[in-house]
Amino acid sequence: MSDTKLAPQSGAIKLTMLLAGVVFLLMMLLGLVMRAAQGGLIEVDPTLFYQILTAHGAGMVGTAALTGAAILWYFVGRYVPLVAGIYWAFLGLFLLGVVLILGSIFIGGFGGGWTFLYPLPAMSGGAWQVTAAAGFFLGYIAIGVGFLLFYLEIGRKLISTYGGISGALAWPLAFGNGKVEDAPPPTIVAAMATTVFNTIGIVVGAAVLVCSLVNLYFPSFVVDALLAKNMIFFFGHVFINASIYMAVIAVYEIIPEYTGRPWKTSRVFAIAWSLVLLFVMAVYPHHMMQDTVMPAWALVMGQIVSYLSGIPLLAVTAFSLCVYLRGSKMRWDLASSLLVLGVAGWSVGSVPAILDGMISVNKVMHNTQWVPGHFHIYLILGEVAMAFGFMAWLVKEANKVELSNLDRAGLTIYILGGAGFTIMFLISSALSVPRRWAVHLEQWMLQDQIATGFGALVVLGALIFVVRYVHVSGDTTN
Amino acid sequence: MQMMVLTVSLVLMAVVALIFVAAVRSAGIEQAPANTDRNRTFLIYGMLIVGVVVTAGSLRQWPHAISSSTETVQVNATGYQWYWELDKEEVPIGKSVIFNVHTKDATHGLGVIDPNGRLLFQTQAMPGYVNQVEYIFSEPGKHQILCMEFCGIGHHDMTSEFNVVAK
Repeated sequence: MSDTKLAPQSGAIKLTMLLAGVVFLLMMLLGLVMRAAQGGLIEVDPTLFYQILTAHGAGMVGTAALTGAAILWYFVGRYVPLVAGIYWAFLGLFLLGVVLILGSIFIGGFGGGWTFLYPLPAMSGGAWQVTAAAGFFLGYIAIGVGFLLFYLEIGRKLISTYGGISGALAWPLAFGNGKVEDAPPPTIVAAMATTVFNTIGIVVGAAVLVCSLVNLYFPSFVVDALLAKNMIFFFGHVFINASIYMAVIAVYEIIPEYTGRPWKTSRVFAIAWSLVLLFVMAVYPHHMMQDTVMPAWALVMGQIVSYLSGIPLLAVTAFSLCVYLRGSKMRWDLASSLLVLGVAGWSVGSVPAILDGMISVNKVMHNTQWVPGHFHIYLILGEVAMAFGFMAWLVKEANKVELSNLDRAGLTIYILGGAGFTIMFLISSALSVPRRWAVHLEQWMLQDQIATGFGALVVLGALIFVVRYVHVSGDTTN
Repeated sequence: MQMMVLTVSLVLMAVVALIFVAAVRSAGIEQAPANTDRNRTFLIYGMLIVGVVVTAGSLRQWPHAISSSTETVQVNATGYQWYWELDKEEVPIGKSVIFNVHTKDATHGLGVIDPNGRLLFQTQAMPGYVNQVEYIFSEPGKHQILCMEFCGIGHHDMTSEFNVVAK
């Protein structure tokens, strides 16, 4: 860990996490409404359902990315001075984007999905006007510009402090004769890798957004649908993965406070992050395995890299965490419990993801409920758990490590709800239930109803974490 | 296939979860130092070997292979917001059927469900392209087509059907 424990812009980070916690809760409630509607427990008009679907997807992905970015900024600030104004500009542009997106959905009626798959936004069948789709695109663009500013600041500081991109990625240690003691800390390696791949992802996303925007107003400007889909899924995959890879920095920085063992950049750690940098960008064709016009080599690459992506996660991050825990003097409170849960959930979620990354499996699992099944494990029990863990750590009193009864209750409810909720998606998929259907057949509803019960537990657990954060923040401030 | 994938997935997920539970439970207990580097190397090589075997086994026969035989039955399926148009209402059992999948508007997904409600296969309907998928039906009866790619407010209504008949 750093010798200089700076707390850069901690007020801004605490505010960000408060906003994120509240938005997570609201988005979870929207998810609960959708599962209850699919289960026939409540009635939701399909038009509204697809608007909720769009808001839930965009909101969860955006907020996961926001929390990952806040974690990255906070901890990178321990090693290099960062300009506060950039963070405020990033947060301001993010909020502007949120306003535009929510307005386009709930005022304009846009319901084209968070993936805005070309040319659907321009072909609503009368459900929304071009201006609503344009508002949605502009909201994404505002958020994207904010992220680019954010990464520009992170990137330039890391490059100038650690001897270029290769230095910050610890390449001298990974591929040369560099020594462990000279390598940058894990936070810097992770921050540099995510800065590189998410910047590339966002630029590709911005390009396809602008093309889609032009197409809205000038329909004769036609984009090749296969190219657009490649660009959208490249962006979408990289962006949501970046949120987890940014959030894991909280594990590198906070867990050593509980185990008393520092988390250092080893050779295998440095190599793993260079592979992550490559794999995150190369794996996206696994989203396009049922586009049989795609070159066969791309689909094979998607399958192989899906599998290989599990190795840095399981054999490096998960393995190292288990080694750190075994025999250590680990102390448990809500923060440390949620951070460990986050890595465990992420690791568990990689199993259904890898299986669905096989072309022959994908042929019967693609766009069934398997897909939300695996990514809800990544999120509820992975990234979001890490974000809640970071929130609990942010407001914890120094030297006080305890797991209160309320914390235990929150954790138990959240884990039980998260596991049950996500496993119901997987079971539904095995029964051939498609994803993203506003209205379900009667024979699918039992799983939806059970999932709704588990979903309510997730919301309750998250509510405990957020209320606790607000309450303890108030105590700390007073 | 689906139930096998679910079972394998749940078992492996449980194994990963139990490894974490064991690590959490062992925290704070004095233990002899493990040979971490050697164990990690075993894990990496083990995963690589399993990966090579699974990759070779699953791709040895290309999952999207389309037969060039003239003995196949061709079905043209076209997606519209929000209905399907098929140029055949019946296809034979036990014979290669090739679906040529088009769209006239947004992207759709053609998924075929057997009489037991089981998804047999799917492919995407991509503007400007024709995706092909080949299948040999083994069970007669009414088969449903569902839309498997979100395509707007009528997505869940975009269903159709055809018969698989013995000939």
